[in-house]
Amino acid sequence: MTLAPGPESAWEITLVGYDDEHQRVHNALFALAAGGLGTSGGPLLVRATADRWIVCAGVYDGDGPETRLLTGPVLTGLAVADADECFHRRLDLRAGVLHERIDGTRPTEMLRFVSLARPGIVAVRTAFPDAVNRGTAQLSAVADGKVDEGETEGAVWMRVTGSEGGIVAAVCETRRENVVDDFAAVVGDSHARPEPDTALTMLSDAARAGFDVLRDEHEHAWSARWEAANVVIDGDDHLQLATRFALFHLMASTADIGEAAVGARGVSGTGYRGHVFWDADTFVLPFLAATHPASARAMLEYRLRRLPTAVEAARDLRRAGARFPWESARSGRDVTPHAARDRTGRLVPIRTGQLEEHVVAQVAWAACHYVDWTGDATFADGPGLTLLVETARYWASRVRTEGDGSVHIYGVIGPDEYHEPVDDSAFTNVIARWNLRHAADAVDAAERRGVAVAAEPSERHRWRAIAEGLVDGFDPATGIYEEFAGFHALEPLIIADVAPRRPIAADLLLGADRVANAQVIKQADVLMMHHLIPDEVAPGSLAPNLRHYEPRTAHGSSLSPAVHAALLARTRDYARALHALHITSRVDLDDMTGTTAEGLHVGTMGGLWQALVYGFAGVRPRAGRLRVDPRLPPDWGALEVNVQYRGVPVVVRLTHDQLSVRAAAPVDVEIGDATLTVGRGTSDFRAAESGWELVS
Amino acid sequence: MKTVLACIDNSAAARPVVELARAFAPLLDAQVEAVHVVEDEAGSDQAFASDVSFRTLRGDVVETLAHAIDTEDVAAVVLGARGRPKGARPAGHVALELADRSDAPVLVVPPDARVPNRVHRVLVALEGTAANAKSLKRTVDLAAGADIELVVLHVDDERSIPSFSDQVQHETDSYAREFLARYVPGAPQARLELRVGLPGEEILQAAEAVDPDVVVLGRRHHADRGPGPVVREVLEHSRRPVLLVAVA
Repeated sequence: MTLAPGPESAWEITLVGYDDEHQRVHNALFALAAGGLGTSGGPLLVRATADRWIVCAGVYDGDGPETRLLTGPVLTGLAVADADECFHRRLDLRAGVLHERIDGTRPTEMLRFVSLARPGIVAVRTAFPDAVNRGTAQLSAVADGKVDEGETEGAVWMRVTGSEGGIVAAVCETRRENVVDDFAAVVGDSHARPEPDTALTMLSDAARAGFDVLRDEHEHAWSARWEAANVVIDGDDHLQLATRFALFHLMASTADIGEAAVGARGVSGTGYRGHVFWDADTFVLPFLAATHPASARAMLEYRLRRLPTAVEAARDLRRAGARFPWESARSGRDVTPHAARDRTGRLVPIRTGQLEEHVVAQVAWAACHYVDWTGDATFADGPGLTLLVETARYWASRVRTEGDGSVHIYGVIGPDEYHEPVDDSAFTNVIARWNLRHAADAVDAAERRGVAVAAEPSERHRWRAIAEGLVDGFDPATGIYEEFAGFHALEPLIIADVAPRRPIAADLLLGADRVANAQVIKQADVLMMHHLIPDEVAPGSLAPNLRHYEPRTAHGSSLSPAVHAALLARTRDYARALHALHITSRVDLDDMTGTTAEGLHVGTMGGLWQALVYGFAGVRPRAGRLRVDPRLPPDWGALEVNVQYRGVPVVVRLTHDQLSVRAAAPVDVEIGDATLTVGRGTSDFRAAESGWELVS
Repeated sequence: MKTVLACIDNSAAARPVVELARAFAPLLDAQVEAVHVVEDEAGSDQAFASDVSFRTLRGDVVETLAHAIDTEDVAAVVLGARGRPKGARPAGHVALELADRSDAPVLVVPPDARVPNRVHRVLVALEGTAANAKSLKRTVDLAAGADIELVVLHVDDERSIPSFSDQVQHETDSYAREFLARYVPGAPQARLELRVGLPGEEILQAAEAVDPDVVVLGRRHHADRGPGPVVREVLEHSRRPVLLVAVA
């Protein structure tokens, strides 16, 4: 049994044989999704013991911390043999099609997809060598929810209802000679029981169109998505495949209409109960803002629809504005569990829900980042501005001003969750400062455009004053930010020197108490500000902070190596940047957490894209222009990234001596110190001592 | 019919050995036979084995028992651990040598062990490797099929500590579900206890916390090195019976 690149190595992963031990992992790796519908990649053609599942983004069951993704009815009855070494699976990332095959005396093939073109439609084609008495496709419930079912002419349906919403699926088939086409329509509703008629109508339309039409439109949709998002790495085939694997699942994970709740595992599994974390706003959204803005907008809509709940949460704490929760599900109330058993068997209190408040600013950052990429003025002057204002109001009510005029935020958890609670987390304070300033500037700008905003000049003045007074722990003498008040006084333990390897869960290696009292960091924290808000940190502070914090970082979070990869690339430390990049790319493919079986780490996948595009390619929006400032490792021949900037498809291709920017319409770009408008077509730049020189 | 050999001597350890053999035999669909191996002409005290079949064998203890295991249909061997008034005791060379030479499970009973009439709960220490899980599968299946509460223990040490631990409130449960699905597929009701530290110490501490009737350990054949340090430590210190199962 091998999990390896397929014949078209950069676009396919294949699995030969059936590995009972790792079947749940493989079912996650081969998961198919689109439009918020996720389906297990478990075999249909052969009988297997692994659980299969269907989930719909945002459709939950239960309440409070126990809120979990509802699992819908699954398709059964299609298997024709037992799983053995003659069984093959191949995931075609370019077309979004999963192939299954049984070799031997009765070779049989199956292919299936979750339609990217028609959300909610699943199509399966099975081709037999000779007549096989295969039964009719059925639906089975695998969840605890209330189940009802029915049958109409030529189709059956089943509905699973959770505590509020539900999932209904309907199936039918068509047969001709040795080919059976099965169709399924799945409808999820987060707040009400979905009606079977809706699924039956979708099913009827799909069956009428037929498998070939569905497949054509599906593959056409995937082709368009790849054209807008592809990343080409010339010189590292394994990284190329891993990158495409990540982008495939990122694109599949998120709907682009209505609201999109992107849980920590997307819709590739039921892990983390489908709860939405800062991963979504910080790591996943940027990729979508740059390649498929409608999905990013749907993610923001998820937050916007829960803004009233966030306002209530702030009010409950006697604060102003909006306080978004650390873990969010259906209602938008915090659903973080209060205690859990850790890997040492201890019952530990979970305080992230109470204290990890930087998520409030991450939501504002996501909204601004979306606007930076898209230029969506309607959003910027409307709901986006509301998000900025309400989050700024929260910070303004959260800070405490001391007698000397200094402003502080006490008692929080920063991204480095090994230390809690801390005062004046540099990351929290700096991103709160960014939030306050950005909100004030955005309201000013909106007013100049004649947009009425309920934030008086006096309030904006106060925001700016608070921002000015917020301490950030920066020491101009060393160029280093202190991660939080008192961090430098902790035991000066360098995890890079004492750990047998990194990444490593240092709290398990050394014990939570030791780590809490030492300069050991779970994940990029100070460095996270250099990655997310580089214009908000002291100029020239990246290198000293990278030198200081990199060896102190255990990377106990799977989100961390990507951020370091991006920043190490910026400083041209290519060996270490590539090491971190490769770790990032293998988190799920190598099941590095032992939890991939319950879903893919979509935040890490988004981090991989950011490392490649923001870190190596140096492509990101800045001050109304698309900045291009690339770093190409010596071992790579070329790096090409495809993005959409302000609605214009842009391709940036970099080799060691040439930089090409191809745009479908004029785009303002910043290359090195020069700003220029790249016209429709390709502009080439030549590497020169002083930077990049325009050639044509 | 298969036999569980209860290896007794004239010491106080004989009683718990026979009692545990009685509690264990139904799980293996076996009958209990008490044997006393004597190296000289000494007599045998069968007071503790009055209601089970009994025989006396003569010769070197290890050689004689090993021969019996090799030539008879022995499902398991139950032995007493050598007792000391306080603290640690020797692991017991007979138990270790038998476990080394035989594929039959060897159950070692401390002299002060509380022996149940029936096995209610077992603690199975699993490394988290396919080979280890395969070797212990029969034990797991037996427990699962006999309505025995099965607690699986996995101890990470410095080498196996995970790279990442993102959000503990979700990560531990996700990891546990996958671990059990992967390595204990035949026991859906099994519960996983996770520990980090030195495996021997952690197994002993977990045994105190979980309070199983039997602790199950995989044991590799080390022809020239004897038992591994984990097995030795647990045998030396456990207050509960320890079942050693040969691991490929």
